[in-house]
Amino acid sequence: MKKKLLLTAFSFLVLLGFTACNKLDVIGDKSIISFDAVIKASGNQVTEDSGFGGWSLEAPDKTARLVWSKDYSKTSSLDVFIETDVQPFIDAGLDTSKLPEGMLLGDKIVVGTDMGNDTLTYDGDATPLASYKQIVNLYRGNLKYHATLDHFGIDMTNGNMFEWAKNMATNDKDMVFVLNPQVFIDAGVDPNKVNGWVFAKVETMDAKGKKIQVDKLLKPFDLDGKN
Amino acid sequence: MSKETIKISGMTCAACAQRVQKAVAKIEGVENATVNFATEKLSVEFNEQQASIPAIRDAVEKAGYGVIEDNKLNNVTMPIGGMTCAACAQRVEKAIDKLPGVAKVSVNLATEKATVEYDPQQIKLSAIKQSIEKVGYKALEIDKNTVDEDRIRKEKEIKTLWTKFIISTIFGLPLLYFAMAPMVSWWPFPIPMAVSPMSYPFRYALLQVSLVTPIIIAGYKFYTVGFKALLQRSPNMDSLVAIGTTAAILFSIYNTFEIFNGNFMAVESLYYETAGVIIALILLGKSLEAVSKGKTSEAIKKLMGLAPKTATVIENGKEIEVPIDEVEIDNIILVKPGEKIPVDGVVLEGNTSIDEAMLTGESMPVDKKAGDKVYAASINKNGMIKFKATKVGSDTALAQIIKLVEDAQGSKAPIAQMADIVSGYFVPIVCTLAIIAFLAWFLTGQSLAFSLTIFISVIVIACPCALGLATPTAIMVGTGKGAENGILIKGGEALETTHKINTIVFDKTGTITEGKPEVTDIITISGILQEYLLQIAASGEKGSEHPLGEAIVRGAEKEHLEFKKVEHFEAIPGHGIEVVIDEKIVLIGNKKLMDNRGIPLEELKNKSDQLAGEGKTPMYIAIDNKLAGIIAVADIVKESSAKAIAKLRSMGIEVAMITGDNRKTAEAIAKQVGINRVLSEVLPQDKSNEVKKLQAEGKKVCMVGDGINDAPALVQADIGIAIGSGTDIAMESADIVLMKSDLMDVPTAIKLSKSTIRNIKQNLFWAFGYNVAGIPIAAGILYLFGGPLLNPIFAAAAMAFSSVSVVTNALRLKRFKAYH
Repeated sequence: MKKKLLLTAFSFLVLLGFTACNKLDVIGDKSIISFDAVIKASGNQVTEDSGFGGWSLEAPDKTARLVWSKDYSKTSSLDVFIETDVQPFIDAGLDTSKLPEGMLLGDKIVVGTDMGNDTLTYDGDATPLASYKQIVNLYRGNLKYHATLDHFGIDMTNGNMFEWAKNMATNDKDMVFVLNPQVFIDAGVDPNKVNGWVFAKVETMDAKGKKIQVDKLLKPFDLDGKN
Repeated sequence: MSKETIKISGMTCAACAQRVQKAVAKIEGVENATVNFATEKLSVEFNEQQASIPAIRDAVEKAGYGVIEDNKLNNVTMPIGGMTCAACAQRVEKAIDKLPGVAKVSVNLATEKATVEYDPQQIKLSAIKQSIEKVGYKALEIDKNTVDEDRIRKEKEIKTLWTKFIISTIFGLPLLYFAMAPMVSWWPFPIPMAVSPMSYPFRYALLQVSLVTPIIIAGYKFYTVGFKALLQRSPNMDSLVAIGTTAAILFSIYNTFEIFNGNFMAVESLYYETAGVIIALILLGKSLEAVSKGKTSEAIKKLMGLAPKTATVIENGKEIEVPIDEVEIDNIILVKPGEKIPVDGVVLEGNTSIDEAMLTGESMPVDKKAGDKVYAASINKNGMIKFKATKVGSDTALAQIIKLVEDAQGSKAPIAQMADIVSGYFVPIVCTLAIIAFLAWFLTGQSLAFSLTIFISVIVIACPCALGLATPTAIMVGTGKGAENGILIKGGEALETTHKINTIVFDKTGTITEGKPEVTDIITISGILQEYLLQIAASGEKGSEHPLGEAIVRGAEKEHLEFKKVEHFEAIPGHGIEVVIDEKIVLIGNKKLMDNRGIPLEELKNKSDQLAGEGKTPMYIAIDNKLAGIIAVADIVKESSAKAIAKLRSMGIEVAMITGDNRKTAEAIAKQVGINRVLSEVLPQDKSNEVKKLQAEGKKVCMVGDGINDAPALVQADIGIAIGSGTDIAMESADIVLMKSDLMDVPTAIKLSKSTIRNIKQNLFWAFGYNVAGIPIAAGILYLFGGPLLNPIFAAAAMAFSSVSVVTNALRLKRFKAYH
């Protein structure tokens, strides 16, 4: 019996060790692979935003872009954000004065998150993918997996996300800008009338993993045209 | 033909018991093999020329089970004085070791003790002591510790099961928490981010693997035994557990790999917790079952615990305290007030009263004087006595009772056979049903995970272990309870048949009456003196064992009459005796005897009728074929007889009395106790025919008697009840032995049988109910009509608690109350 108990304890500790190991973060690992695929598929729409100090992934129709920082210590209030044209929202009834402060920058709506003030260092050159890896390594909590759409996503809090397909070959929504419509509805927007955005109910999971239906404004793109 | 009882290990359900039974029954020369799952004993009758114990052991082991060797060795720790160094210890060790019958010896110098394992059949403890003294050391007072292998084994088994259950619970609870918390929406059960199924599914899966692994290890026996049985094409309960949990684990492992490969949603198809919790619950059920099973045999343990451990033997005028095993026949034993009688014997000196409640249930102490018998384990109340040992070891009355109760507890009631047959086919049928249910759901479009859930639930819920326990546990408690009340029921069959009894036939003398009749009237004719008639009759009856004859002898002794020499003696069963005294032929007996010899009785007919009408038994005496007179003998009706008969009649049982006595006497006694149907003037050899006649009327007949002449009727009756004050032959012929002479034990025995059979039926109902209702629910019949799907965890809980509830129900019998 003693032997069995020891064996039990040993196997438990070994497996616990494995569990603690970062290597076992399959969502993080696979997200890097698929984000790399999105970057590659986007070609020259991925650019360096030197003014901001990060990288920009622009939508094929150039109406929105994802921006992520190279070094959080050097970027100010937002380290990762979505930037999109304000005009379609105004056309749908937006009273810009009712938007929360800082959300409207010129003719752009900006929603994002402040990751922190970490000084990011790189083994080699800073690249768009390397900067994304920093998010996975340092702010893994902001990386989500959206099972219904088989998407990974960077959670920018308040229901705003940038999502991309785990496998572009099998997905018709390779890249999706996701906005929480409530803030716009509160500012007078009729969400069904925002040009270039789809107002839909999306099945997702709450913090406890429970499946829930939520309203979202979506801007999806099929990058590889395979679906 | 040899009969042996062998203890079997590794049986987990009724199917196992069936398997062992079949394997042994197949051996050439084995006449009968019965396995009792509850007592874990195999009773086998075999022809020694063709079969042997090693062959039976091989067959059991081949079937995948173990044989527990009976350790007949005693273990003694003996303090030794005078040892000063290691060489001393070695010397003592060598001296003991070379003695025949010593299996193992170890002398510890530090503790100054020798631990000796020896065969008491081969060597006495005194011889071991002598060998120590011989080499120059002193054998001090011994702490004797006879190893109760069975008790230790059972305790170890329970302890191991609890340990396994605790391990499985320690790991099972967090496993269940991690598995279920994400599914509970009504309460915020937190899960650490590092193992969140949505963010880190692979870690989450591995955490479950790490939690389920110790549980699997704790329940490894289900796999080793279950798959072995499955490979041998005789699946048992373990096979069902093994199949169900293995399916859950393999499917989960597959999904763990899927997660690793990027199919993160496979996290929703992990069933590690199902396997883990099933094992934990079944271990809990097994633990509770083991504890409860132990309680069912408490009665026999109580009996075993009654015997004292030592006896004070008088040798060469000295009092020596010796272990009970060393007491030999003809030893003179001293028992002081308050001590227990160590073995059976006959009092040589002293007067005392002895509490024999352990044997008879009778609370009043019995006075004992020189010549009276004393029994092992009875308590000497107030006087010091010396007695000669007549029966020791396994021959004492207590040992015989223990054996009888053990045999009864190991036997099977006919009702158990049905359960055995069903459980034998149950497991393969359940496996088939589970596969059919799996395929039916899968082929009609349900997911693999859903269909697998159905498969696991059916497999797990359908274990027939409750079915296997339903009958033997109730019989164990029932027979044990009987023994506690001085009612020894010899087997499951007797216990079962007793509840069907609708007619009881009581023998009169010694059963309804005290059996110690006394001379009440002496009537003489032709000028014969009363004293002479009594003298002649008593001389003739001197060698008789008949209670009426004994009464005449006692009558003569009371009058201080001298006994005459008997030149010829002939007993005429059912009639009387013929003797030659003083060259005269003397006939002493009933009317039939006189009629057969053509001796006219007219002269005393009226007087005889009058005596008989008073409930007295007139015995005719003829000298040289001429009627000489009547000696009337009357017996006292037992205090409890009328009450017992009234109780039986209130239970709807017809009561009859059978006697060799004349009709008028018999009717007078019958009237006193409230019996309407009287079978009088029945010869001993005809008693069984009378029983047969009643049986021919379609009645289930119970015969209650005490004498040798009742033995054939006891055997003929559906149930024979011998009362303990009777003869050994009557007790051997009977199905039930009443240790007291109290007839209230007859309705108590019937009530006990009825309670036990009702308990068995309840057990069978619940055991079948769990399975019959559980299988369709597990197979998804409710789901088919919009109801819920049975979670395999609940299936496991139902299965585990089915056994526990059956054993608990059997234990309710312990509250049985006897009639007083």
